[in-house]
Amino acid sequence: MVYITSWDEFVERTVQLFRADPESTRYCMKYRHCDGKLVLKVTDNKECLKFKTDQAQDAKKMEKLNNIFFTLMARGPDVDMSEITGKEQMEAQPAKKGRGRKQ
Amino acid sequence: MVLLQPDPFLNELTSMFERSTETGSVWVTLKRSSLKSKVQRNKLKTAQQPIEYRCLIRATNGKKTISTSVGAKDHQRFQASYATILKAHMTALKKRERKDRKKAAEDKKESGSKKPKRA
Repeated sequence: MVYITSWDEFVERTVQLFRADPESTRYCMKYRHCDGKLVLKVTDNKECLKFKTDQAQDAKKMEKLNNIFFTLMARGPDVDMSEITGKEQMEAQPAKKGRGRKQ
Repeated sequence: MVLLQPDPFLNELTSMFERSTETGSVWVTLKRSSLKSKVQRNKLKTAQQPIEYRCLIRATNGKKTISTSVGAKDHQRFQASYATILKAHMTALKKRERKDRKKAAEDKKESGSKKPKRA
């Protein structure tokens, strides 16, 4: 299996994969603290999409993807994506301030 | 496989992360599931009753597996706590390195303002 290197491509293709077959698609995250590595995997048992990183900034992007998948899985694949992104933006703003102060 | 309520699950997940800092990994899987067997699902289908789906969350450290599920009403609260746990424990990841072409900009940023980050 080849890792997808572009984050945006990974997000797009995984969401597509889930929409195509919501019932057999799973989203898996593996975190290995001792090596500082994070691997994300989405598969429907036919196709497998993976993304690997050791960057903290990608963990922040992953948080958004987590939210997308939580919403899609709990509410169903027909849920309006613009609704999710709209909520995210609202949540993202106070979070941004928090990051700014920390750094 | 232990099916827990969301809050005990999050507590267990936290201790899983804490126990795997020196060695080992943690896996978390999200899946859309009706939490029913195929037979039960087929029964509902033939009875033309709607199947209720929830988001099933499973976590393992290779030895122990825990799971929970969230529905449309409670997933937002759960995902917020989940994100907090991840943020607190994914501390081994690198902070902006290895990107040579961004290095010049980085140096400038360090001396100047700290605000401009990604959108």
